[in-house]
Amino acid sequence: MRAALAVEALKLRRATAPRVAGLAVVLGVPAVTTGFIAAAEAAPTSQLALKVAPMLVGDGWVAQLSMVGQILSVAVLLSAGVVAAWVYGREHVDGTIGGLYAVPVRRRDVAVAKALVLLAWGVLVLLATLAVSLAAGAALGQGGLDSAATAALARAVLVGLLTLLLALPVGTAAHLLRGYLPGIGVLLAVVVVTQVVTVAGAGAWFPYAAPGTWAGMGGPELAEAVLPVQLALPVPVALGGVMLAAWWSERAEVR
Amino acid sequence: MIAQDVVLEARGATRSFGPEVAVEDLDLTVRAGEVHAIVGLNGAGKTTLMRLLLGMLRCDSGTTCLRDGGGELVDVRHLRPRAWASVGHLVETPFTYAELTVLETVRCAARLHGLTVADAGPASQEIIGALALDHWSGRRTGTLSLGNRQRVGLASAMVHRPGLLVLDEPSNALDPAGVLVVRREILNAAGRGAAVLVSSHHLDEVARIADRITVLHRGHVVGTLPPDGADLERAFFAMVYGAEADGHLDLPADPARPRRT
Repeated sequence: MRAALAVEALKLRRATAPRVAGLAVVLGVPAVTTGFIAAAEAAPTSQLALKVAPMLVGDGWVAQLSMVGQILSVAVLLSAGVVAAWVYGREHVDGTIGGLYAVPVRRRDVAVAKALVLLAWGVLVLLATLAVSLAAGAALGQGGLDSAATAALARAVLVGLLTLLLALPVGTAAHLLRGYLPGIGVLLAVVVVTQVVTVAGAGAWFPYAAPGTWAGMGGPELAEAVLPVQLALPVPVALGGVMLAAWWSERAEVR
Repeated sequence: MIAQDVVLEARGATRSFGPEVAVEDLDLTVRAGEVHAIVGLNGAGKTTLMRLLLGMLRCDSGTTCLRDGGGELVDVRHLRPRAWASVGHLVETPFTYAELTVLETVRCAARLHGLTVADAGPASQEIIGALALDHWSGRRTGTLSLGNRQRVGLASAMVHRPGLLVLDEPSNALDPAGVLVVRREILNAAGRGAAVLVSSHHLDEVARIADRITVLHRGHVVGTLPPDGADLERAFFAMVYGAEADGHLDLPADPARPRRT
């Protein structure tokens, strides 16, 4: 497992796709958040302000960090989902999958190592995003964090982590479908289905909707109605995805 | 009775892809210290056979076996993972990642083949030197020519000095100097006692390195060629034509002959 981890970590560190996808979140989420809030405050009756209004909870740090959590629930899924699809699917597209056969490192270990380095990458991206968000808030004169702001920050962290877990099965889909583009197709389908399920009212019982709903994407009332068991759903979804990828790795043939 | 020096074996190996029979009831052995070449036209079943031997594909019937550390020939589907540490292979696509340098790629291959962190570095440097890749050692493999990527793939297959090498058209895309380098390394490996299975379209090249030449056609072994025999091309085509039911195969005429007259 150690060799598989070392190899997968090196590939992820050197590649362009994870850097671009990570930077998009690290810089994009704070920029969109501060931009939305600034636009809403500058012109409260503008089209943008009216659209942003349902996402705004409280003011100051609480408003900013709540919105960071909401945007993370979409941005991390898209970003980590694309990277997960690439990490698993590129072996098939580049033809390197054959090199992972007939070696003493088990293929299931390689599949698990890919998931672990994806998680490490995602945590780093999440921490950097929150650091930039806090720096942006401080630069705008938000002052110190009170207990409500700290709770909003903790919620954003958890939303980001849960969403990161939900991205792992996208990699499994790319692995099973033998390419990153089919994996990205599955990712887009998941985003659409999540929207439909949320609109239909099933909301938090659908794992891909739970973190976003809890972050406040459907408003404060729906957020408070999310149950702990619903928030825990991404864990078995991620574990199931990684186990399926590992199982498939041992059984799949090179085509 | 299987000879003790047989390292790799196919016994009645059969594999189809839908209605297409790629390999049928095929027997083949590769012994320690020999270079066994398989030659055949495109689609003859060479790559499929190699994938069956390496466990990348499963046989529909028959088995493919590798000698494990305990000295037994074991079905590759039931082989202990550790036993694969003595195998190096390059089948179709070189093991190269565009974002990694040549040295990083070969080090990764070394780790995946079971070398420790401490051993992977020196072993990588050594095989990179042996395959005349020093100049490109720090270059990303995505920027290399096809021939040099092929050489990196060979370095990845040979970095751990395996006891069995399975190489699918190893001199593909190489320039004449590269062919010489790879030929030397293959013969060195066999000289150290490694069993080597190579496939090739190039009969002249095969004749220079092989101890045995097996001809594959439409998924069957149709004969063997003597490596030191005269006019291998003629003998090869005679064997291939003979394997056709009506003795006819639609091949292009040899354009070299009219120019010589």
